[in-house]
Amino acid sequence: MNPLRVAAVFRRIVAQFRRDPRSLALLFVAPLAIIALLGWVLSSAQATSARIAVVDEASGPAGSVVANRLQSALDGQPGIVLDKSVIDDATARQALEDKKLDLVVVLPADFSAQNRKIELLTLGLNPTGEAAVIPAVQQALVGALLDSAGAVLPTVERQTVYGSPDATQLDSLAPVVVGFFAYFFVFILTGISFLRERIGGTLERLLATPVSRAEIVLGYSLGFGFFATLQVAIVMAFVLGRLDVPALGPVPAFAIGLGVRTAGNPLVAYLLVLVLGLGAVSLGIFLSTFARTELQILQFIPIVIVPQGLLGGFFWPIDQLPALLQPVARILPVTYAIDGLRQVMIAGAGLDSAQVLLDLGVLVAIAAFFVVLAAGTIRREVA
Amino acid sequence: MKVTPTSPAPAVEAVALRKDFGPIHAVDGIDMALTPGRIYGLLGPNGSGKTTLIRLLVGLASATSGTARVLGVDMPSRPNLARIGYMTQADGIYPELSVWENLTFFAALYGQTDKAELLRTLELVELRGRTGTPAQDLSGGMRRRLSMACALAHHPAVIFLDEPTVGVDPALRVQFWNHFHRLAADGATLVVSSHVMDEADRCDELLFIRDGHVLAQGTPAELRARTGTDNLETAFLQFAGETAATAGAATATTPTANETPR
Repeated sequence: MNPLRVAAVFRRIVAQFRRDPRSLALLFVAPLAIIALLGWVLSSAQATSARIAVVDEASGPAGSVVANRLQSALDGQPGIVLDKSVIDDATARQALEDKKLDLVVVLPADFSAQNRKIELLTLGLNPTGEAAVIPAVQQALVGALLDSAGAVLPTVERQTVYGSPDATQLDSLAPVVVGFFAYFFVFILTGISFLRERIGGTLERLLATPVSRAEIVLGYSLGFGFFATLQVAIVMAFVLGRLDVPALGPVPAFAIGLGVRTAGNPLVAYLLVLVLGLGAVSLGIFLSTFARTELQILQFIPIVIVPQGLLGGFFWPIDQLPALLQPVARILPVTYAIDGLRQVMIAGAGLDSAQVLLDLGVLVAIAAFFVVLAAGTIRREVA
Repeated sequence: MKVTPTSPAPAVEAVALRKDFGPIHAVDGIDMALTPGRIYGLLGPNGSGKTTLIRLLVGLASATSGTARVLGVDMPSRPNLARIGYMTQADGIYPELSVWENLTFFAALYGQTDKAELLRTLELVELRGRTGTPAQDLSGGMRRRLSMACALAHHPAVIFLDEPTVGVDPALRVQFWNHFHRLAADGATLVVSSHVMDEADRCDELLFIRDGHVLAQGTPAELRARTGTDNLETAFLQFAGETAATAGAATATTPTANETPR
């Protein structure tokens, strides 16, 4: 191993990027734009309130008592706007279709003290979004029915072991997003860079010099590790920091950065992302063997990147995946990065945590595995 | 100039060298021993095996059988690459990088970091005034020159040049060859592949290659004399056994026997 040759490869990669503003933009501007968009969507989505109507189709007194109690229980609840103008099923359905209502509580015609079946009617176009309001309605329902039986409803207050019960979706997604972007962009850029070496004739030329495979892979890892470091530093600063800019003239007040709370040490989080990124460098080099054009590198995205996004714990916990997919999830590097990042940023774990060390260890092992694979593809014919 | 087959240490040597790609014998049992300080031309049509032969000698491909040896060392040998220069058929330079960045990068891999020396190499290929220009903004001929500079900056003892003059204008081509001769005079051994016969006369010695075989080896004058022609193209065709069909008139007056190539 000759450090001068490794340094030469490293310097070359840095020089190449410096002269390629589009790739720099992809590395630094694109993640910021996407995370800013995500933060905007998630924080605004929580401010909207659900428009609800209660419709009493029952003719008996039991229906009207429950309907009245339900209305008073829902009225004034945070996040709920009660529409009292809608009084029958047909108008309610029309209002749902016209997007004037989000949910209708229907007491059907056969509702009575004995048959207390209540219907919740939504449009059905966006089941996840529509379901979000149901817990609040159910709680109001329980209150309304208990009150009618003469009992008192206990108040419920939510607590969490880690973080705060007020943690938003953004707080739990931010650590994941940081890791995933580093992985995605480093993979794409290394894959394409190395493909260019292969098809542009420079790899042939490199291999005709005394440089070794290990020196090439190490030089590449340092080069892309350098950019991954800059990327993660900038993205982390954006995710964790928050700069409030006051209104000035016609420009309304706005904030730069998401201000996500991190419980743990950002440096430990960075270490996890760096090791993940080094694995992506070698994966990119390895997979560039199987591509002939840049388009073919992009074809690896649905094969390599998307499954990691779906199975890695980004959206669903690994334990909730189908039994057959759980082992698959457990060999994906992103799974360990996401777990580690959540441990650090939400649970405040550090390098003294066995779980974080396990995640880090697995990421190192996966990176080492792909370093060997990558080196193996560089010079097939020469010892 | 006389060939001395008993030269003590050939700079480049092949012994029964063979490379198969499936059923195709790209290099089909080549024996050769090239003397130091001379320019050898590998001449043959496209697909005759010239590039594969060079890749075997540089150690970028492993032989199916036989031995490739450069400066007495069996190839492939990574340390030995420090004494070898290889200009590939493709330019093999980084388009985003400047002339200077390309040159210093490849030179650094060979351990050559002497700035003055690198500037001299650029002067030689007339790119001294273009150090900051990105390679992608150079003309085709300039890119060839940069590619050559990257192969020569570390003063290799053996230089393989795979079609170095493709896309280079005639005036510069003359300069290239003058420089090749200076390098040879300084003791370097050059192996230059080409399919252009008019370059062949500039070589000290030629190897006619076809279908992975060496059809004939000798100085241009010797090869012409052996076939009784004044034209290396006709000589090549005669050695290739295509005289009857294509060059009948030319051979009718030349009773010289075709030697069996070895």
